[in-house]
Amino acid sequence: MKRYLFKRILLIIPTFLGITLITFLMIRLAPGDYTSLKAGLQGELRAGQIGQEILEQEKKLYGLDKPILVGYYEWVQKFIRLDFGKSRKDGRPVSTRLAEALPITLTLNLITLIIIYLISIPLGLFSAVKKNGFFDQGTSLLLFILYSLPSFWVALLLLLYLGGGEYLDLFPLNGLLSDGLEQANWWEKFLDFSWHLVLPVVTLTYGGFAFLARYTRANLLEVIGQQYITVARAKGLSENKILFVHAFRNSLIPLITLMATLLPALLGGSVIVESIFSIPGMGQLAFEAILSRDIPVIMAIASISALLTLIGILLSDLLYALVDPRIRLEGKK
Amino acid sequence: MIISSWSRNWRDFKKNRLALAGSLVVFLLLLIALLAPLLANNKPYIYISKEKTYFPLFFDYPDLKDKDLRQNKYPGFKLFPPIPYSYSEYDLDYIVVGPSQKHFLGTDEQGRDLAARMIYGTRVSILVGLIAVLIYVTLGIIIGAIAGYYGGVVDLIISRLIEIMICFPTFFLILTVLALLGPSLVNIMVVIGLTSWTGIARIVRGEFFRIRELDYVKASKLSGASDFWIILRHILPNSLSPVFVSATFGIASTILIESSLSFLGFGVQPPTPSWGDILSQSRDFMDFAWWLTLIPGAAIFITITSYNLVGEGLQEAFDPKK
Repeated sequence: MKRYLFKRILLIIPTFLGITLITFLMIRLAPGDYTSLKAGLQGELRAGQIGQEILEQEKKLYGLDKPILVGYYEWVQKFIRLDFGKSRKDGRPVSTRLAEALPITLTLNLITLIIIYLISIPLGLFSAVKKNGFFDQGTSLLLFILYSLPSFWVALLLLLYLGGGEYLDLFPLNGLLSDGLEQANWWEKFLDFSWHLVLPVVTLTYGGFAFLARYTRANLLEVIGQQYITVARAKGLSENKILFVHAFRNSLIPLITLMATLLPALLGGSVIVESIFSIPGMGQLAFEAILSRDIPVIMAIASISALLTLIGILLSDLLYALVDPRIRLEGKK
Repeated sequence: MIISSWSRNWRDFKKNRLALAGSLVVFLLLLIALLAPLLANNKPYIYISKEKTYFPLFFDYPDLKDKDLRQNKYPGFKLFPPIPYSYSEYDLDYIVVGPSQKHFLGTDEQGRDLAARMIYGTRVSILVGLIAVLIYVTLGIIIGAIAGYYGGVVDLIISRLIEIMICFPTFFLILTVLALLGPSLVNIMVVIGLTSWTGIARIVRGEFFRIRELDYVKASKLSGASDFWIILRHILPNSLSPVFVSATFGIASTILIESSLSFLGFGVQPPTPSWGDILSQSRDFMDFAWWLTLIPGAAIFITITSYNLVGEGLQEAFDPKK
């Protein structure tokens, strides 16, 4: 197990380097980028001293005056020290901006992920047990519809009908805290915060749980078709015992690995959801950075989210190894 | 053998009513996309004036230049398309007006006919969906076939590359590239095509691993067939059915990506209409102009659902376990 863990952690490094190298090359080699970068900065140069400073800094950070690989090597060195340079937008260190935005997006995605699993596993389970029953067919159709609904449309409709518009004024339109609550106690803040999170979390959740519930159902049905389930049934176990002890536990394994695929999708979805609901998280930061071609921020977000995804994959691999003895004992044969 | 298995799959597919309904919608959307200029146009198909018969929609006539034949001052027989407006012409007397007899889906903030814009938007969605998927299916098949057929070091390198691509925050990557290159129809298709091939490559690689060990492939190898021949003639045809399934779902998700990009302002540039862009523009009038929010969103939803239904039908029909 230790060897497996060690091997997995080592494998993260080349993958991470690969991702950042490709991003780096893309930014360096994209036609028009370097010139537009200079043109943009010249505008700022005239405006004042900050532009000059940032231009120098950016040149240093990306080694624009040096060969590409040398520049990349220096970027990696700075990354290890968490030095991402300064944002071109407001001149603040990128790491500070990330430190503000990252916890918000992580909270949002963590809540979403928990709700996705809490809803989809029981739902998939019930549908599989009563296969082709009324409940199964109804949820199948519903999940199929949810799965195909574009999230930005749902977000707009939610805002229109439930938030502040002409219809029901149930939820706040945007942001994370209401005005004038800075002095309130933590409980009021918490309530207000949760209230603000409802619509964004709903938007992020429904597609994911539709996908996962369908997956749970298909998976459980496959396990139920296996021979050892027939054996368990033949030796007279109760249906409940067969379902929960034999079938369900085995069908859980692939669900764990799915977490790794859901994570990058959720982070990508944050761009849309956060920009619609004006939530100052990674998604909004990313979108603003892309709009203003704030390259230090783009590069930092690409590498941080790649790192998060890699950690997610590592975690799910470890969980997988924990529940599946075939992998855990691989080295001992 | 192959023919009989395909016809059996088709028979199974036909039994699935939802999948058939999905195929019908997909077919209709294709027709709308192909025939867009014939469905929404401000020129008539045919115009018979006192002197002459014209076909203004199909040919240019010097004597009709800059004449709006919809006006009553041009008498004669006129046959107009069902939507007698072009997607870019604006009517300042009809700004954000709801569905009516004149504009049956209403108008947008510049007084442009929503129905005409929706019809032309179909073109963008379908075109991006089909071409981007074609690009990445081709790439995925080539890369997956090489990895699966040769195995060993080649496979190791390709597998690592696939792993790197999977960890990329793809949507963010696409946005960044479009911001650097500038958004355009071609760029969107190429960028989605170049970033989304990993799923297909993994499927093809797995199929090749399985099939290359089968006896008939070994026999072909022993009889001296070249690698290229074996890959193309013996293994590839038998590994395509999961690719078809995945590609159909892929069209659905590509159309979703395209409309999300347009929604964020990184899509096809105006005046070319796209569903995501229409939806995005509607945000300013959301509280009263329900048609601007509801119609493009529903169009995206119906399109995605139809492709997903077809994908499901194909998946069930191709399922080897049944």
